[in-house]
Amino acid sequence: MAIRLARDLAIGKAGLAFVRPSGESAPPTGGGMSLYPTYPLRTQRLTLRPFTRGDVDAVYAYRRREDVTRYLFDTALSREECALAVQQRIGQVALEAEGDKIILGVELDGNGALIGEVSLIWRSVEARQGEVGWIFDPNYHGHGYATEAANAVLDLAFGPGGIHRVAARCDVRNERSWRLMERLGMRREAHFREHALFKSQWDEEFIYAILQQEWQAQRAEQAAT
Amino acid sequence: MFSLSLPIQTDRLILRTFERSDIDGLAAYHALPSVQRYVFTKTRDTSEVAGALNLMRGHVSLQRPGDTLTLAMIRKGDQALLGHVSLNWSDATAGQGEVRFCVNPAHAGQGFTREALSAVYDLAFDHFHIHRVFARCDGRNHHSIKLMQQMGMRLEAHYREHALFQGEWDEELHFAILDREWQRSTKVKDLPVRHRVA
Repeated sequence: MAIRLARDLAIGKAGLAFVRPSGESAPPTGGGMSLYPTYPLRTQRLTLRPFTRGDVDAVYAYRRREDVTRYLFDTALSREECALAVQQRIGQVALEAEGDKIILGVELDGNGALIGEVSLIWRSVEARQGEVGWIFDPNYHGHGYATEAANAVLDLAFGPGGIHRVAARCDVRNERSWRLMERLGMRREAHFREHALFKSQWDEEFIYAILQQEWQAQRAEQAAT
Repeated sequence: MFSLSLPIQTDRLILRTFERSDIDGLAAYHALPSVQRYVFTKTRDTSEVAGALNLMRGHVSLQRPGDTLTLAMIRKGDQALLGHVSLNWSDATAGQGEVRFCVNPAHAGQGFTREALSAVYDLAFDHFHIHRVFARCDGRNHHSIKLMQQMGMRLEAHYREHALFQGEWDEELHFAILDREWQRSTKVKDLPVRHRVA
Protein backbone atom coordinates (compact mmCIF):
# COMPACT_ATOMS: atom_id res chain seq x y z
CA MET A 1 0.00 0.00 0.00
CA ALA A 2 1.44 3.33 -0.99
CA ILE A 3 0.26 6.83 -1.65
CA ARG A 4 2.01 9.48 -3.54
CA LEU A 5 2.65 12.77 -1.93
CA ALA A 6 1.29 15.74 -3.79
CA ARG A 7 3.34 16.54 -6.81
CA ASP A 8 4.59 20.09 -6.95
CA LEU A 9 2.34 20.69 -9.91
CA ALA A 10 -0.76 19.84 -7.95
CA ILE A 11 0.32 22.02 -5.10
CA GLY A 12 1.01 24.84 -7.51
CA LYS A 13 -2.52 24.53 -8.74
CA ALA A 14 -3.91 25.05 -5.30
CA GLY A 15 -1.07 27.02 -3.82
CA LEU A 16 -0.03 29.49 -6.46
CA ALA A 17 -3.52 30.51 -7.32
CA PHE A 18 -3.96 31.30 -3.69
CA VAL A 19 -2.01 34.47 -3.95
CA ARG A 20 -4.63 36.06 -1.88
CA PRO A 21 -3.51 38.96 0.21
CA SER A 22 -3.74 37.95 3.82
CA GLY A 23 -5.25 41.29 4.74
CA GLU A 24 -4.47 43.40 7.76
CA SER A 25 -5.65 41.05 10.42
CA ALA A 26 -3.38 38.44 11.92
CA PRO A 27 -4.01 34.73 11.34
CA PRO A 28 -6.39 33.29 13.93
CA THR A 29 -3.59 31.28 15.44
CA GLY A 30 0.15 31.54 15.37
CA GLY A 31 2.25 29.41 13.05
CA GLY A 32 5.95 29.09 12.62
CA MET A 33 6.61 26.43 15.21
CA SER A 34 9.34 24.01 14.26
CA LEU A 35 9.09 20.32 15.06
CA TYR A 36 12.04 18.23 16.27
CA PRO A 37 10.53 14.97 17.50
CA THR A 38 12.35 12.72 19.89
CA TYR A 39 13.02 9.39 18.22
CA PRO A 40 12.12 6.63 18.12
CA LEU A 41 8.34 6.92 18.25
CA ARG A 42 6.81 3.77 19.65
CA THR A 43 3.39 2.26 19.10
CA GLN A 44 1.97 -1.00 20.36
CA ARG A 45 3.78 -3.18 17.82
CA LEU A 46 5.97 -0.78 15.89
CA THR A 47 8.96 1.50 16.13
CA LEU A 48 9.07 4.61 13.94
CA ARG A 49 12.60 5.89 13.55
CA PRO A 50 14.78 7.83 11.10
CA PHE A 51 16.24 5.91 8.17
CA THR A 52 19.80 4.66 8.33
CA ARG A 53 22.22 3.53 5.66
CA GLY A 54 21.58 -0.09 6.57
CA ASP A 55 17.98 0.18 5.31
CA VAL A 56 18.75 0.08 1.59
CA ASP A 57 18.12 -3.63 1.06
CA ALA A 58 14.86 -3.62 2.99
CA VAL A 59 13.64 -0.59 1.04
CA TYR A 60 14.71 -2.17 -2.23
CA ALA A 61 12.73 -5.31 -1.37
CA TYR A 62 9.45 -3.39 -1.74
CA ARG A 63 10.32 -0.36 -3.87
CA ARG A 64 11.46 -2.66 -6.70
CA ARG A 65 7.93 -4.05 -6.96
CA GLU A 66 5.54 -2.87 -9.65
CA ASP A 67 2.54 -3.32 -7.39
CA VAL A 68 4.06 -0.91 -4.86
CA THR A 69 4.85 1.82 -7.37
CA ARG A 70 1.61 1.59 -9.32
CA TYR A 71 0.14 4.66 -7.62
CA LEU A 72 3.39 6.44 -6.83
CA PHE A 73 4.94 9.03 -9.13
CA ASP A 74 8.08 6.91 -9.17
CA THR A 75 8.44 3.80 -11.22
CA ALA A 76 10.00 0.70 -9.64
CA LEU A 77 13.40 1.65 -8.22
CA SER A 78 16.77 0.08 -8.84
CA ARG A 79 19.01 -0.67 -5.89
CA GLU A 80 21.08 2.44 -6.65
CA GLU A 81 17.95 4.58 -6.68
CA CYS A 82 16.92 3.06 -3.37
CA ALA A 83 20.31 3.90 -1.91
CA LEU A 84 19.79 7.50 -3.00
CA ALA A 85 16.25 7.56 -1.61
CA VAL A 86 17.48 6.23 1.73
CA GLN A 87 20.31 8.75 1.75
CA GLN A 88 17.77 11.58 1.31
CA ARG A 89 15.53 10.18 4.04
CA ILE A 90 18.33 10.02 6.61
CA GLY A 91 18.20 13.80 6.92
CA GLN A 92 14.42 14.13 6.79
CA VAL A 93 13.70 14.09 10.50
CA ALA A 94 12.42 17.56 11.44
CA LEU A 95 10.15 20.35 10.23
CA GLU A 96 11.92 23.69 10.22
CA ALA A 97 10.56 25.41 7.13
CA GLU A 98 7.68 25.13 4.72
CA GLY A 99 8.05 22.10 2.47
CA ASP A 100 10.17 20.14 4.96
CA LYS A 101 9.42 16.45 5.36
CA ILE A 102 9.72 13.96 8.15
CA ILE A 103 10.06 10.47 6.70
CA LEU A 104 10.34 7.60 9.14
CA GLY A 105 11.09 3.94 8.67
CA VAL A 106 8.49 1.65 10.27
CA GLU A 107 10.04 -1.30 12.07
CA LEU A 108 8.14 -4.31 13.30
CA ASP A 109 9.05 -4.94 16.94
CA GLY A 110 8.57 -8.70 16.66
CA ASN A 111 11.35 -9.35 14.16
CA GLY A 112 12.98 -5.94 13.64
CA ALA A 113 12.01 -5.89 9.96
CA LEU A 114 11.61 -2.61 8.13
CA ILE A 115 8.09 -2.89 6.71
CA GLY A 116 7.58 0.55 5.17
CA GLU A 117 7.63 4.27 5.76
CA VAL A 118 5.35 7.07 6.87
CA SER A 119 5.81 10.73 6.13
CA LEU A 120 4.64 14.15 7.17
CA ILE A 121 5.16 17.26 5.04
CA TRP A 122 4.77 20.82 6.22
CA ARG A 123 2.68 22.29 3.41
CA SER A 124 1.91 25.71 4.84
CA VAL A 125 3.48 27.41 7.82
CA GLU A 126 0.99 30.28 7.88
CA ALA A 127 -2.13 28.10 7.72
CA ARG A 128 -0.47 25.20 9.60
CA GLN A 129 -1.19 22.61 6.95
CA GLY A 130 0.37 19.18 6.79
CA GLU A 131 0.21 16.21 4.46
CA VAL A 132 0.77 12.58 5.38
CA GLY A 133 1.86 9.72 3.18
CA TRP A 134 2.90 6.09 3.43
CA ILE A 135 4.47 3.23 1.54
CA PHE A 136 4.24 -0.31 2.94
CA ASP A 137 5.73 -3.62 1.94
CA PRO A 138 2.85 -5.78 0.59
CA ASN A 139 4.25 -8.75 2.54
CA TYR A 140 3.07 -7.01 5.69
CA HIS A 141 -0.34 -5.82 4.52
CA GLY A 142 -3.48 -6.77 6.37
CA HIS A 143 -2.29 -6.58 9.97
CA GLY A 144 -3.20 -2.98 10.72
CA TYR A 145 0.44 -1.88 10.80
CA ALA A 146 -0.12 1.00 8.40
CA THR A 147 -3.07 2.20 10.48
CA GLU A 148 -1.00 1.99 13.64
CA ALA A 149 1.91 3.91 12.11
CA ALA A 150 -0.33 6.54 10.48
CA ASN A 151 -2.08 7.13 13.80
CA ALA A 152 1.29 7.84 15.37
CA VAL A 153 2.14 10.33 12.63
CA LEU A 154 -1.17 12.14 13.06
CA ASP A 155 -0.56 12.28 16.82
CA LEU A 156 2.81 13.83 16.07
CA ALA A 157 1.37 16.35 13.60
CA PHE A 158 -1.54 17.48 15.74
CA GLY A 159 0.22 17.24 19.08
CA PRO A 160 3.83 18.48 19.16
CA GLY A 161 3.56 19.69 15.53
CA GLY A 162 0.65 22.02 16.24
CA ILE A 163 -0.68 21.41 12.72
CA HIS A 164 -4.24 22.60 12.08
CA ARG A 165 -5.21 20.33 9.19
CA VAL A 166 -3.64 17.22 7.74
CA ALA A 167 -4.46 16.06 4.22
CA ALA A 168 -3.64 12.93 2.26
CA ARG A 169 -4.20 12.07 -1.36
CA CYS A 170 -4.31 8.97 -3.47
CA ASP A 171 -5.42 7.54 -6.75
CA VAL A 172 -9.11 6.62 -6.77
CA ARG A 173 -8.18 3.02 -7.64
CA ASN A 174 -5.94 2.78 -4.57
CA GLU A 175 -8.67 1.46 -2.34
CA ARG A 176 -6.40 0.12 0.41
CA SER A 177 -5.04 3.60 0.98
CA TRP A 178 -8.29 5.52 0.97
CA ARG A 179 -9.87 2.90 3.21
CA LEU A 180 -7.03 3.61 5.61
CA MET A 181 -7.69 7.34 5.37
CA GLU A 182 -11.30 6.64 6.29
CA ARG A 183 -10.24 4.45 9.22
CA LEU A 184 -8.13 7.36 10.42
CA GLY A 185 -11.31 9.45 10.52
CA MET A 186 -10.32 11.59 7.55
CA ARG A 187 -13.02 13.13 5.39
CA ARG A 188 -13.10 12.90 1.62
CA GLU A 189 -12.77 16.50 0.53
CA ALA A 190 -11.99 16.14 -3.13
CA HIS A 191 -12.62 13.78 -5.99
CA PHE A 192 -10.86 15.21 -9.04
CA ARG A 193 -11.48 13.74 -12.48
CA GLU A 194 -9.05 14.18 -15.33
CA HIS A 195 -7.47 17.20 -13.65
CA ALA A 196 -3.96 16.06 -14.53
CA LEU A 197 -2.01 13.36 -16.29
CA PHE A 198 -0.58 10.50 -14.28
CA LYS A 199 1.81 8.10 -15.99
CA SER A 200 0.47 9.19 -19.40
CA GLN A 201 -3.17 8.66 -18.49
CA TRP A 202 -5.92 10.85 -17.12
CA ASP A 203 -5.72 11.00 -13.38
CA GLU A 204 -8.53 10.56 -10.92
CA GLU A 205 -7.68 11.48 -7.38
CA PHE A 206 -9.10 11.62 -3.87
CA ILE A 207 -8.01 14.10 -1.23
CA TYR A 208 -8.86 13.36 2.38
CA ALA A 209 -8.34 15.63 5.36
CA ILE A 210 -8.92 15.97 9.08
CA LEU A 211 -8.74 19.00 11.36
CA GLN A 212 -6.87 19.21 14.63
CA GLN A 213 -10.01 19.58 16.74
CA GLU A 214 -11.61 16.60 14.99
CA TRP A 215 -8.54 14.47 15.62
CA GLN A 216 -8.37 15.43 19.26
CA ALA A 217 -12.07 14.72 19.80
CA GLN A 218 -11.64 11.34 18.13
CA ARG A 219 -8.62 10.47 20.26
CA ALA A 220 -10.44 11.50 23.43
CA GLU A 221 -13.35 9.28 22.44
CA GLN A 222 -11.04 6.34 21.75
CA ALA A 223 -9.36 6.84 25.12
CA ALA A 224 -12.73 6.80 26.86
CA THR A 225 -13.79 3.46 25.41
CA MET B 1 -4.78 27.60 -33.42
CA PHE B 2 -6.97 30.11 -35.22
CA SER B 3 -6.79 33.63 -34.03
CA LEU B 4 -9.38 34.63 -31.54
CA SER B 5 -12.34 36.50 -32.95
CA LEU B 6 -13.54 39.20 -30.59
CA PRO B 7 -15.89 40.65 -29.56
CA ILE B 8 -18.26 37.77 -28.96
CA GLN B 9 -21.99 38.38 -29.23
CA THR B 10 -24.48 36.53 -27.09
CA ASP B 11 -28.24 37.12 -26.86
CA ARG B 12 -27.99 40.13 -24.62
CA LEU B 13 -24.26 40.78 -24.29
CA ILE B 14 -21.13 41.81 -26.07
CA LEU B 15 -18.00 40.24 -24.62
CA ARG B 16 -14.86 42.23 -25.36
CA THR B 17 -11.49 42.90 -23.77
CA PHE B 18 -11.23 45.76 -21.30
CA GLU B 19 -10.52 49.33 -22.41
CA ARG B 20 -9.22 52.39 -20.60
CA SER B 21 -12.67 53.95 -20.61
CA ASP B 22 -14.06 51.08 -18.52
CA ILE B 23 -12.62 52.59 -15.34
CA ASP B 24 -15.90 54.08 -14.06
CA GLY B 25 -17.94 51.04 -14.89
CA LEU B 26 -15.39 48.81 -13.17
CA ALA B 27 -15.09 51.07 -10.13
CA ALA B 28 -18.86 50.80 -9.71
CA TYR B 29 -18.56 47.18 -8.64
CA HIS B 30 -15.00 46.03 -8.19
CA ALA B 31 -14.33 47.73 -4.88
CA LEU B 32 -17.67 46.87 -3.27
CA PRO B 33 -17.21 44.91 -0.04
CA SER B 34 -19.66 42.26 -1.22
CA VAL B 35 -17.48 41.69 -4.28
CA GLN B 36 -14.16 42.08 -2.46
CA ARG B 37 -15.12 39.33 -0.08
CA TYR B 38 -14.63 36.73 -2.78
CA VAL B 39 -12.03 38.06 -5.18
CA PHE B 40 -8.29 37.49 -5.32
CA THR B 41 -7.10 40.98 -6.17
CA LYS B 42 -7.87 43.48 -3.49
CA THR B 43 -9.11 46.84 -4.71
CA ARG B 44 -10.21 49.31 -2.11
CA ASP B 45 -9.93 52.66 -3.87
CA THR B 46 -9.86 54.24 -7.33
CA SER B 47 -6.12 53.88 -7.80
CA GLU B 48 -6.28 50.17 -7.03
CA VAL B 49 -9.20 49.76 -9.43
CA ALA B 50 -7.06 51.44 -12.09
CA GLY B 51 -4.34 48.91 -11.34
CA ALA B 52 -6.80 46.03 -11.68
CA LEU B 53 -8.06 47.49 -14.96
CA ASN B 54 -4.52 47.77 -16.31
CA LEU B 55 -3.90 44.16 -15.44
CA MET B 56 -7.12 42.97 -17.05
CA ARG B 57 -6.50 45.05 -20.21
CA GLY B 58 -3.45 42.87 -20.73
CA HIS B 59 -5.54 39.66 -20.59
CA VAL B 60 -6.27 39.52 -24.30
CA SER B 61 -5.53 35.94 -25.33
CA LEU B 62 -4.14 32.57 -24.29
CA GLN B 63 -0.77 32.13 -25.95
CA ARG B 64 1.03 30.09 -23.32
CA PRO B 65 0.17 28.34 -20.06
CA GLY B 66 -0.51 30.82 -17.30
CA ASP B 67 -2.12 33.35 -19.63
CA THR B 68 -5.54 34.75 -18.86
CA LEU B 69 -8.27 36.05 -21.13
CA THR B 70 -10.58 38.52 -19.41
CA LEU B 71 -13.74 39.73 -21.10
CA ALA B 72 -15.94 42.61 -20.07
CA MET B 73 -19.67 41.91 -20.11
CA ILE B 74 -21.24 44.78 -22.02
CA ARG B 75 -25.03 44.98 -22.26
CA LYS B 76 -26.31 45.47 -25.78
CA GLY B 77 -28.26 48.68 -26.12
CA ASP B 78 -27.04 50.88 -23.29
CA GLN B 79 -23.44 49.54 -23.45
CA ALA B 80 -23.32 49.26 -19.66
CA LEU B 81 -20.43 47.28 -18.12
CA LEU B 82 -22.14 44.60 -16.03
CA GLY B 83 -19.16 42.55 -14.88
CA HIS B 84 -16.44 40.35 -16.31
CA VAL B 85 -15.49 36.76 -16.92
CA SER B 86 -12.04 35.29 -17.32
CA LEU B 87 -10.39 32.11 -18.47
CA ASN B 88 -6.94 31.16 -17.22
CA TRP B 89 -4.93 28.48 -19.00
CA SER B 90 -3.54 26.81 -15.93
CA ASP B 91 -1.97 23.65 -17.38
CA ALA B 92 -1.05 22.89 -20.97
CA THR B 93 -0.12 19.21 -20.82
CA ALA B 94 -3.37 18.25 -19.13
CA GLY B 95 -5.44 20.93 -20.88
CA GLN B 96 -6.79 22.60 -17.76
CA GLY B 97 -8.50 25.99 -17.63
CA GLU B 98 -9.92 27.98 -14.74
CA VAL B 99 -12.79 30.42 -15.05
CA ARG B 100 -13.49 33.34 -12.77
CA PHE B 101 -16.32 35.80 -12.88
CA CYS B 102 -17.53 38.91 -11.21
CA VAL B 103 -20.82 40.76 -11.69
CA ASN B 104 -21.99 44.12 -10.48
CA PRO B 105 -24.53 43.24 -7.76
CA ALA B 106 -26.90 45.80 -9.30
CA HIS B 107 -27.17 43.53 -12.34
CA ALA B 108 -27.02 40.16 -10.60
CA GLY B 109 -29.82 37.64 -10.78
CA GLN B 110 -30.69 38.17 -14.44
CA GLY B 111 -28.58 35.41 -15.91
CA PHE B 112 -25.95 37.67 -17.46
CA THR B 113 -23.02 35.82 -15.91
CA ARG B 114 -24.44 32.51 -17.01
CA GLU B 115 -24.82 33.83 -20.55
CA ALA B 116 -21.26 35.12 -20.59
CA LEU B 117 -19.83 31.93 -19.05
CA SER B 118 -21.56 29.78 -21.66
CA ALA B 119 -19.74 31.72 -24.36
CA VAL B 120 -16.47 31.38 -22.46
CA TYR B 121 -16.94 27.61 -22.12
CA ASP B 122 -17.59 27.33 -25.86
CA LEU B 123 -14.40 29.28 -26.39
CA ALA B 124 -12.42 27.17 -23.93
CA PHE B 125 -13.48 23.82 -25.35
CA ASP B 126 -13.90 24.60 -29.05
CA HIS B 127 -11.31 27.29 -29.70
CA PHE B 128 -8.62 26.59 -27.10
CA HIS B 129 -9.24 22.81 -26.94
CA ILE B 130 -9.16 22.77 -23.18
CA HIS B 131 -9.99 19.38 -21.68
CA ARG B 132 -11.39 20.43 -18.31
CA VAL B 133 -12.66 23.75 -17.03
CA PHE B 134 -12.79 24.33 -13.31
CA ALA B 135 -13.90 27.11 -11.02
CA ARG B 136 -13.35 27.76 -7.35
CA CYS B 137 -15.52 29.67 -4.98
CA ASP B 138 -15.93 30.41 -1.33
CA GLY B 139 -18.10 27.93 0.54
CA ARG B 140 -20.46 30.73 1.59
CA ASN B 141 -20.90 32.19 -1.87
CA HIS B 142 -24.35 30.80 -2.61
CA HIS B 143 -24.85 32.73 -5.83
CA SER B 144 -21.72 31.28 -7.35
CA ILE B 145 -22.52 27.79 -6.14
CA LYS B 146 -25.95 27.93 -7.76
CA LEU B 147 -24.47 29.28 -10.96
CA MET B 148 -21.86 26.51 -11.13
CA GLN B 149 -24.62 23.94 -10.74
CA GLN B 150 -26.66 25.59 -13.48
CA MET B 151 -23.63 25.41 -15.74
CA GLY B 152 -23.70 21.64 -15.30
CA MET B 153 -20.48 21.55 -13.33
CA ARG B 154 -19.71 18.86 -10.81
CA LEU B 155 -18.65 19.59 -7.25
CA GLU B 156 -15.23 17.97 -7.06
CA ALA B 157 -13.80 19.40 -3.87
CA HIS B 158 -14.92 20.94 -0.63
CA TYR B 159 -11.93 22.05 1.40
CA ARG B 160 -12.35 23.08 5.00
CA GLU B 161 -9.82 25.31 6.73
CA HIS B 162 -7.11 24.40 4.22
CA ALA B 163 -5.82 27.97 4.02
CA LEU B 164 -6.18 31.42 5.46
CA PHE B 165 -8.10 33.99 3.47
CA GLN B 166 -8.26 37.59 4.59
CA GLY B 167 -7.33 36.50 8.10
CA GLU B 168 -9.96 33.79 8.47
CA TRP B 169 -10.06 30.07 7.88
CA ASP B 170 -11.10 29.45 4.34
CA GLU B 171 -13.73 27.08 3.03
CA GLU B 172 -13.49 26.48 -0.67
CA LEU B 173 -15.38 24.58 -3.33
CA HIS B 174 -14.06 23.35 -6.67
CA PHE B 175 -16.42 22.72 -9.55
CA ALA B 176 -15.39 21.21 -12.86
CA ILE B 177 -16.68 20.09 -16.22
CA LEU B 178 -15.01 18.07 -18.96
CA ASP B 179 -14.98 18.81 -22.65
CA ARG B 180 -17.22 15.84 -23.42
CA GLU B 181 -19.73 16.86 -20.75
CA TRP B 182 -20.28 20.40 -21.93
CA GLN B 183 -23.45 21.02 -23.94
CA ARG B 184 -22.35 23.46 -26.61
CA SER B 185 -24.65 26.42 -27.00
CA THR B 186 -23.45 27.27 -30.47
CA LYS B 187 -23.75 23.82 -31.97
CA VAL B 188 -26.89 22.75 -33.78
CA LYS B 189 -29.35 21.47 -31.22
CA ASP B 190 -30.15 17.79 -31.36
CA LEU B 191 -33.54 16.98 -32.77
CA PRO B 192 -36.07 15.71 -30.27
CA VAL B 193 -35.75 12.01 -29.60
CA ARG B 194 -38.09 10.02 -31.80
CA HIS B 195 -39.01 6.43 -31.44
CA ARG B 196 -36.87 4.40 -33.71
CA VAL B 197 -38.71 2.90 -36.59
CA ALA B 198 -37.30 -0.51 -37.30
